[in-house]
Amino acid sequence: MLMFSYLMATGITTGAFYALVALGIVIVYKSTEVVNLAHGDLFMVGGMLAYTCYVMGGIPYLPSLLLAVAGAFVVGILTERVAYRSVLKHGLASVLVATIGVSFVLKGIGRYIWGGKGDYLAFPPIVSPEPLQFGNIMIMSQQLVVLFAVIVVMAALALFFKRTRAGKWMQATASNPKAAMLCGLRIDRIYMYTFAVGAALAGAAGVLMAPLTHLYPDVGFVLFIKGMAAAVLGGLTSIPGAVLGGVLLGLAEQLAAGYLHSSFQDVVAFLVIMFALIFLPTGLLGARGLRKV
Amino acid sequence: MTLPVLVGNRSFLALLFGVLLALPAFANQYTLFVGNLMLLYIILALGLNILVGFAGLLAFANAAIYGIGAYGTALLQVHLGWSFWAAAPVGAVLAMLIGTLLAFPALRLSGIFLALATLAFAQATQWVLWHWQSVTFGAGGFRVPPPDFGWIPVKQDYGIYFVSWAVTLGLLLFTWRIMRSRIGRAFVAMRDGEIAAQSLGIDLLTYKAMAFALSSFYAGVAGALYSGLLGFVSPEAFDLFQMIIQKAMIVVGGLGSVVGSVLGAALLVYVMEVLREFKSTQEIVFGALLIAFMVFQPHGLVVFMKRWLPGWEEPLHLAGGVQSTAPGHDTSVAGATSKEHASAERT
Repeated sequence: MLMFSYLMATGITTGAFYALVALGIVIVYKSTEVVNLAHGDLFMVGGMLAYTCYVMGGIPYLPSLLLAVAGAFVVGILTERVAYRSVLKHGLASVLVATIGVSFVLKGIGRYIWGGKGDYLAFPPIVSPEPLQFGNIMIMSQQLVVLFAVIVVMAALALFFKRTRAGKWMQATASNPKAAMLCGLRIDRIYMYTFAVGAALAGAAGVLMAPLTHLYPDVGFVLFIKGMAAAVLGGLTSIPGAVLGGVLLGLAEQLAAGYLHSSFQDVVAFLVIMFALIFLPTGLLGARGLRKV
Repeated sequence: MTLPVLVGNRSFLALLFGVLLALPAFANQYTLFVGNLMLLYIILALGLNILVGFAGLLAFANAAIYGIGAYGTALLQVHLGWSFWAAAPVGAVLAMLIGTLLAFPALRLSGIFLALATLAFAQATQWVLWHWQSVTFGAGGFRVPPPDFGWIPVKQDYGIYFVSWAVTLGLLLFTWRIMRSRIGRAFVAMRDGEIAAQSLGIDLLTYKAMAFALSSFYAGVAGALYSGLLGFVSPEAFDLFQMIIQKAMIVVGGLGSVVGSVLGAALLVYVMEVLREFKSTQEIVFGALLIAFMVFQPHGLVVFMKRWLPGWEEPLHLAGGVQSTAPGHDTSVAGATSKEHASAERT
């Protein structure tokens, strides 16, 4: 029972983190119908920028976080302007190929700048590294920070989509780009900011997660797969779905690792993607009645 | 008619394969290795182009299938003591069988979703290669005995080179014929509009399975030759970066063009070898090539060849983006068929 509750606690905290990665993927997909395969590498860029500011530059943590998020936002804008905008007219699959190109360019740049200093960069903990005791479960305090941050980001996104004009523009563009354009929305600009917001979210996830996972140039794709699995499970278009999918994925991984074998932890995400896409194409909370697959 | 034949795609292929055949006469061991690698990548690019360029199925599993071919061949030799000549065909067929299974998700999924599912399949394959240590020897890889050329008096690396050359030429001619046959036209019809193809009597399951089977057979053959060439296999040779290299080859060469695959593979193997020492530069260059071609010339280098060389025929070249099931592709369908008629009249 102790092991079970420990696995549940770890599952929920790692799941919250997967949810944070998934949220970025979902937001981009919701308004552009593009799955950004470079999302994980934007995550890596965010983490590396925070490392540069915080560890190498000696800037305090919060400003480092903001700088890294802003940096990721700018990278997101750049990638959209350079790589995606002119490819969008050739169809979504072409954009997918472009995003994987961007993914490798970012990874190569990451390896070029930050890869030479030992394979893994250790990010010092920002809160006390002592685990906290709840009853008889131990939880890393950094995991609680991530959990808290996910709740904040999700609430902020919900508010953004419900209350702000920019959020409504994005939703309008998502549901019908042509009609949105006829209403006078500049959809290319909205796409640009969507990619940038997705990138900023990836950057934020990178900064928050850096103390828990070491940073290395290839970290992005591993996390992209997990975030993707969470997003697909949740239905790819639903923000609560992404969070639910993330938590379920985290729990499934921990249970597989705890009760089967520790190496099974990584394979869960692949299986979830394959089976969810084939048997549950709208996910758990995705839009019903639309055949997009 | 004589001049176009001299400066067309056929003469390009004849020249390339002639040079490659003569290569062992004057090349050192390293150049020979690069030449051999070029042959393997031509096979891989042809196979991937059948799937992505002709049949319009954007899949990301080719590197994993390539790995299954290589591992199948190598493991049969190491565990069961088979000779290379027995193991290689079995490895290639094994890769083909596993690859064909991917046609079933492809029936339900299209575009981005097929890409994601096959990406997950590729990563799962990597996971198996890493963790099933009792069979695959894990992340470090393992050594394979070199192919035995006891029955002909030829040095080992020359032997595998000539085998690769012959196999590549055979597969190239086979691709050339089959893509101009009923099957190739069915692939192109499927790519340009699934519903239209279905209503013309093209059975989607059969032809999708056939596209996956063909492309994974090519990847399996390349994998088998790779294990014979290198004498060593490890999971990281078949990772996502390998996939990007192959994808860049067909995008640079030209989607839906047999000669484009050859052109892209030959060029990018050269680029890859120039940058071999710097993994970060390789990643940046291949990523940037993909982006640049997607932005500036999504139809690949073949477009320039068609424009400049009078004898360069490309009846089935993909004239839209990667996937032309988007609305407004009718013109490209009409264009492709009219060009096809033109070429049929000429021949």
